[in-house]
Amino acid sequence: MPQDLLGLTGVKYSPYEESTQLARYIQHYPRSFTRNPSQPLIQRPLTLSELTGPTGLDRRLNAGDGDDLSRRTPDGPRAIGQFISVSGRVVDQDGAPVAGAVIELWQANSAGKYIHELDRHEAPLDPNFTGQGRLITDADGEYRFRSIKPGAYPVMESEWWWRPPHIHFSIFGPSWMNRYVTQIFFPGEPLNETDLLLNAVQDPEARDRLIFRTTPTTVGKVNLLHFKLDFVLRGKHQTPALD
Amino acid sequence: MSKGLPTSPYCTIGPFFPGQFVEGCEDLTRFEGKTACGEHILLAGRVVEEGNLPTLNVILEIWQADANGVFRHPLDPRSGAADPGFFGWGRARTNADGRYRFRTVVPGSYRTEEGAHRCPHVNLMVLAIGLTRRLVTTVFFGDAPDNVRDPVLDCVTDRAARRRLFAVRDPALDAEGLPGYRFDIVLRGENETPFFVD
Repeated sequence: MPQDLLGLTGVKYSPYEESTQLARYIQHYPRSFTRNPSQPLIQRPLTLSELTGPTGLDRRLNAGDGDDLSRRTPDGPRAIGQFISVSGRVVDQDGAPVAGAVIELWQANSAGKYIHELDRHEAPLDPNFTGQGRLITDADGEYRFRSIKPGAYPVMESEWWWRPPHIHFSIFGPSWMNRYVTQIFFPGEPLNETDLLLNAVQDPEARDRLIFRTTPTTVGKVNLLHFKLDFVLRGKHQTPALD
Repeated sequence: MSKGLPTSPYCTIGPFFPGQFVEGCEDLTRFEGKTACGEHILLAGRVVEEGNLPTLNVILEIWQADANGVFRHPLDPRSGAADPGFFGWGRARTNADGRYRFRTVVPGSYRTEEGAHRCPHVNLMVLAIGLTRRLVTTVFFGDAPDNVRDPVLDCVTDRAARRRLFAVRDPALDAEGLPGYRFDIVLRGENETPFFVD
């Protein structure tokens, strides 16, 4: 039996580079200054324990049947709002596809309301909207799902901050070192300019990695707007020198 | 050597992680209808922030070896012998008192490729509002923390901080016929939990 089915031997994981990431501390962002550790993070070696991680998670979680958030049953009525499709690839830092990765996603409905007991924002739920899904990337690292474009919503702890439309992603790469969680935003949204989280990425190129690309849409019976985003998970091979 | 493509930015999990994504994930002792080998325990505690205030709605994930020190993962040369009743991953959410609880097994120890001994431990990560990136730490087991030698634990040189990385047997947490082990997490403040570079 092959021991290294995922081609993981020799993969290196460097600490996240600050320039590619959100700042840890963000002025006016609730809890930022009460939850980040005050002591420096401690360097440690990476052993088998940190380099392995939950692979084949679809055997433990139901995955792969949540690729249409816009309705509760395949023939059921569609939730209200702009019908969208989202697709892209999950790759490592060498650009190699990450196959079999479980992706969890969740989002607000078109009125900016989440299906969650802690969402006390006064906006309607949509009975046809599922609000969440689980996917598995294919052999090329590709994922795709259909949904409704999420609405903006006000942050309850803030008097002025509105979250722009965004979709949450949680991705299980093949290692504990590339377990990854993020939020992806829509292009051209005015609220993107004032969002505390999106603007916590200093480098504009890095910030763009959190924004979907619009792609050409085919006019047909279904009014479906396409968005694309590729994810680069941490982890790279030391590419052998070519002769 | 190329540094490769820049990684996608991490962002906070936010306040609205679906409850259905947590349900059932607190229990690691069963997998595909089989029961895990080894000593079943409850690994539980409180997550607090500055001022010793409880945190509601923090998401914790753990990853660990089975009772024999084997990881269910292709990188582990012993993975073919992984416990069929144990997957090794779990997830929990804190309640209004900041409390969480996993049901799992005491992990076994193993030897690294370099010959170092990894003591029984559980990898733990924290996701929450206020944290733009996950926080990672390691939970150790054992009655004599000062005597434990482990290449990750030994990176924590402050003796009091090292002790905070140990789950402590606490009969007050016993439930469902299982022994309770307490691991409290102080994100920030007095008796802060040591976290590692990620």
